[in-house]
Amino acid sequence: MSVNRRRTTNTIEVNFLARWLVIVFLIGLAGLFFVYLKNQQHAVGNQSRLIEAALREEEARDEALKAKITSMTSRGALQHRLDDGYITLQAIRDTAIARITPPAPAEVDGVLRTASRDPESRFGPGVPQRSVNR
Amino acid sequence: MCGRIGVVCALLVLIFTAFAWRLIHLQILKHDYYQEIAANKNDSRKVIPARRGRILDRNGEELAVNIPVQMVYADGSHIHDPTALATLAAPFLEVPVKELTEKLTTKSKYVVIRKGVSEEKAQDMMRAIEKANLHGLYLQEGSVRSYPNGEMLCDVLGYVDHTGHGADGIEKTCDAALTGQEGFRMIEHDRKGREIVVYRGQEQSPENGSDIRLSIDMGLQAIAEREVDEAYKTNHPASATAILADPNTGEILALASRPNYDPNKFNEAKPEQMRNRAISDMYEPGSVFKIVVTSAAYNEGIVDDKTRIFCENGHFSYGGKIIKDHHGSGDLSIPEILMKSSNVGAAKISLRMKDQMFYDYVRKYGFGTRTGIPLPGEISGLVNPPHRWDMLTKTRMAFGQSISVTPIQMVMAMSAIANGGKLLKPKLVLSMGEGSNELQEPPVAQVVKSESANYIANALEKVVGNQGTAPLARIEGYRVAGKTGTAQKISPHGGYLEGRYIVSFAGFFPVNKPKIMGIVIVDDAKLGETANYGGSVAGPVFAKIGEKAARHLDMDPEAACSVSKQGSSTTAVSLR
Repeated sequence: MSVNRRRTTNTIEVNFLARWLVIVFLIGLAGLFFVYLKNQQHAVGNQSRLIEAALREEEARDEALKAKITSMTSRGALQHRLDDGYITLQAIRDTAIARITPPAPAEVDGVLRTASRDPESRFGPGVPQRSVNR
Repeated sequence: MCGRIGVVCALLVLIFTAFAWRLIHLQILKHDYYQEIAANKNDSRKVIPARRGRILDRNGEELAVNIPVQMVYADGSHIHDPTALATLAAPFLEVPVKELTEKLTTKSKYVVIRKGVSEEKAQDMMRAIEKANLHGLYLQEGSVRSYPNGEMLCDVLGYVDHTGHGADGIEKTCDAALTGQEGFRMIEHDRKGREIVVYRGQEQSPENGSDIRLSIDMGLQAIAEREVDEAYKTNHPASATAILADPNTGEILALASRPNYDPNKFNEAKPEQMRNRAISDMYEPGSVFKIVVTSAAYNEGIVDDKTRIFCENGHFSYGGKIIKDHHGSGDLSIPEILMKSSNVGAAKISLRMKDQMFYDYVRKYGFGTRTGIPLPGEISGLVNPPHRWDMLTKTRMAFGQSISVTPIQMVMAMSAIANGGKLLKPKLVLSMGEGSNELQEPPVAQVVKSESANYIANALEKVVGNQGTAPLARIEGYRVAGKTGTAQKISPHGGYLEGRYIVSFAGFFPVNKPKIMGIVIVDDAKLGETANYGGSVAGPVFAKIGEKAARHLDMDPEAACSVSKQGSSTTAVSLR
């Protein structure tokens, strides 16, 4: 048996190992970050879904209420209420009516019209205007 | 040693090669196959419904709106405990538990459980299901159409059927514009059926339907409805119709008829109630039609303001038949013929015209042709061409027999007299969608010269005078022109029905600047032969509508026209 035998040793290349460990760590970290982001994305997506649903629900409720108001204040409904005596029509005395002179110029015949009697709101432009005073 | 390492390496290579191959097989070769399976399992196309456009009156008052509702459907592949789900959901859906359990015991991915569930109930149900950790019931947005005014204006509005498409009225005619274009979104859902927002795919926004603004003025409509209703209840006729229009533009301002129906409950209505009499009923117009023969003859110079026609004292024998007047007269001028509604006079005027000429005028007034009002079911009436006439036809047509017209045709013809001779197309839709311009349509034809139209219009003013046939059609404070019509009803077995009449009054006011044109038609009023005349039945209804309409439109009274109706009732028996 030889005494001067050189002892075999396995050297650990720390630099090499450290480099790879860092790379693996970074890749792992990136992976975890990716998973975290993905989870966040899903969570935010879920939140937006719930908000969308809530918004849509509110919109639908709003529309339903609007439709209900429309049907309760429609001419037909008011007429029924009038016939049933729930509401009454009160005549407005002429002295209680304030007639406002509109900024519009007088008509050809020199008669001014009241703001509430603007024909354009009823018949649109181009229709002969009505005169006013009585 | 090397040999063993080589074998291990070879084995590893083989194993990884197999894995790689399997990966290629799954990901590339069978890509489409597995993608389809995944898509079938998790992907779906979610429809985003478009809102149906509203229908508004000319002032923006809502006539047809939408109420949001939900459709509840089941996905059988997500249901694990149908009984528990049915027990929970049944009270919200108002369905028996047993029936619901049967429906939920399915593997089908789309089973409609209930339509038209209110938004509130549907959401409450979904919250309860989620709380109980059950799955398989889902909601799909929808809406039901609501007509806030109920029966009012039903003939114009129509209704939508169960598919959500218009089945009658404007709802049908303008269905394409009202419906819009539904959108969609490609979605992926998890095993609980919830959408995974991150994986949203292609998306297309819905295009909501356009709002439609009608020419109808609901203020006038309410007035017309009330008066027609009163006439219907008082006189018990088979039907009653009133139409108001703007004679200068052809815009229909109100259209009411009885019997009618509630479009919210259209499935409860009888066919008789659903008929739009203004456009789909034809009737012999009677004396109202005398405006055609007189205006045509005047326009052609066959008669003039000096012409006097001998009216044979009310008995004119022609073609082997006797044409009678209600009250016999001697020589009458054209205005007097209209005022007294002389059949003999009208017949004699027609005899001065050539057949083809008379026929051409009848057609130019729009009779025998659809007016083109945008409502479904309009008929063209019945006008026979001259080669099918016998000796009497022309004389009968002159006073509104042997011809059938629709109320809307009569309105447009009378409007032509009111507006200086222009036949207009009836206009019902003012605009579609926001920002769209109002369409101004040119007149269909200049039927008669404006002088001729004005001459007849002034003559028609005498009809509502004390000597005329319709003093009860006068409106306090306004100059009214109009014509009465009293026509015997045609028997389905040929000839006429004894003692049964269709009475009408068509008129306009103020005469010098007409703003309102109206017609009232009462079919077969139960009043007895002596009281059932256009002047005594339809005329007063016209007057009531006109009076209220003038107030609604704030029209200035004409000082010279404050005529009293005193004494009118004494002449009622002689109205024709």
